[in-house]
Amino acid sequence: MNVIEINNLTKNYGKERGIIDVSFNVEEKEIFGFIGPNGAGKSTTLRTLLALIYPTSGSAKIFGKDCIKYGPEIKKEIGYLPSEVFYYDKMKVIDLLKYSASFYKKDCSKRISELADAMDLNLNKKIDDLSFGNKKKVGIVQGLLHEPKLIILDEPTSGLDPLMQQKFFELLQEENKKGATILFSSHILGEVQRMCNRVAIIKEGRIIQLEKISALQENNYKKIRVQTTVKLDENYFNIDGVSNLVVSQNMISFLFKGNINSIMKKISEIEIINVWVEEPDLEEIFLHFYEKGA
Amino acid sequence: MNVFKREMRDNRKALIIWSIGVILMIASSMGKYAGLSASGQSINDLLAEMPQSLKAVMGMGTFDLTTAIGYFGVLFIYLAMMATIHSAMLGANIISKEERDKTAEFLFSKPISRNKIISSKLLASFVNILILNLVTFVSSILMVEKYSKGEAVIGDITRLMFGMFILQLIFLFIGTVIAAVSKHPKTAPTLATGILLITFMLSIGIDLNTGLEKLKYLTPFKYFDAKNLISVRGFEPVYMILSVLIIAVLLSATYVFYKHRDLNV
Repeated sequence: MNVIEINNLTKNYGKERGIIDVSFNVEEKEIFGFIGPNGAGKSTTLRTLLALIYPTSGSAKIFGKDCIKYGPEIKKEIGYLPSEVFYYDKMKVIDLLKYSASFYKKDCSKRISELADAMDLNLNKKIDDLSFGNKKKVGIVQGLLHEPKLIILDEPTSGLDPLMQQKFFELLQEENKKGATILFSSHILGEVQRMCNRVAIIKEGRIIQLEKISALQENNYKKIRVQTTVKLDENYFNIDGVSNLVVSQNMISFLFKGNINSIMKKISEIEIINVWVEEPDLEEIFLHFYEKGA
Repeated sequence: MNVFKREMRDNRKALIIWSIGVILMIASSMGKYAGLSASGQSINDLLAEMPQSLKAVMGMGTFDLTTAIGYFGVLFIYLAMMATIHSAMLGANIISKEERDKTAEFLFSKPISRNKIISSKLLASFVNILILNLVTFVSSILMVEKYSKGEAVIGDITRLMFGMFILQLIFLFIGTVIAAVSKHPKTAPTLATGILLITFMLSIGIDLNTGLEKLKYLTPFKYFDAKNLISVRGFEPVYMILSVLIIAVLLSATYVFYKHRDLNV
């Protein structure tokens, strides 16, 4: 079952580009990554899902219901963490969280204290006195306190120290195990790689790739480094399927996509000292996409 | 109810300050009347020699300044001015502040429709302007009765305050409609008070120059002229109908525009 279905969603801000023809689905209990550089349209897509802005054309469904028409109803089961967190400055953290909880018709006080403990958040401070990272924590608690079935996170880790990021990911994985679906936008590929099952890559408002993380990493690409005894012709490895080719002295490194036998044959024909065949990280694949597109 | 409660709390301090301002204004002005009335009839003679234009600018018009209620009639336009500035700014701010303070992304991702949020905010504004009106009403009665030497003033003051309340409503909704239409949350209160000042100046302009008489429908301040409300003329049906129409249009426009536009997030 699809928790989110996005169909040809387009949003223009006057003449400015927002997103163009975005389509993808997020399945139930999935952790879905949404990656792209700043300004690619990640926030625009998420804000349209939440009916903060309206699509120019196309549509999106959440829990099988149109996200604009049934907005208030479906938001009962959504927890949203915006990329920039701003709250009523004069309020205390606990008052803000209680205000947030008052929109959901259930008692969230136990959950608030659990989450605050887990995130090491002081509930009695004024919002105004909090650091950026602590405001982010308020945002996280605020987004999770009603145990939503769908969690939408817009660049959730910015401002959190590594220890807190770890805690936060553990929280998310727990929620996921309990049955929550998570849509997660980021420009940091490492965290997407760590957390997500599938990923959509957005660039300049368009989805350019939609794949399983495992497919992106395993099936297509190998990261190969070869150390040779003598300096080779620079173009020796410049065959079909090779990209990001770097030759320096006796070290050659590149990404390879295609039949692994053809590259192994190439390697066997030369005298080598050492060879490394690794899974590339998403960062490298991603960079490759970007260069190709540019 | 939660949004309503939050708005009531958020606006409490401002309301208290405005109320104190109104009370001080009434107390100090009526205090001056005490000194004035001691001089007897001479003040009317003095005023009779004042040029009409100066009297129009000061809002004195044709009031009998020797009576407490006549004196209060002059004061009324300043009270109405204060109350409408409060309304216009309240209306513009209460809608636009979520976008101005960037809390819109928090509030509007909650399971509550935009219409409900607007309704809660309008209800809170309504209660706020009603309280300011009642504070003005009660302190006016107390202060005017103190100097009126037993004349009946409650009827006149009630009419004046009812008129002022409709003015407050009109400018409240001018504020909300501007905030609902405008994509720039910071300019909404400025624009609302700008419109208020222009209509206020126009009402004085009409007093100054009878050639402008036909423009009187353009400024709500002319709908509830103190001299008419105090004298036997009372409320004129045409202005009452106009007021109701204006309020209805502004109110529905607030809902329609706010519901259909992108939030400035």
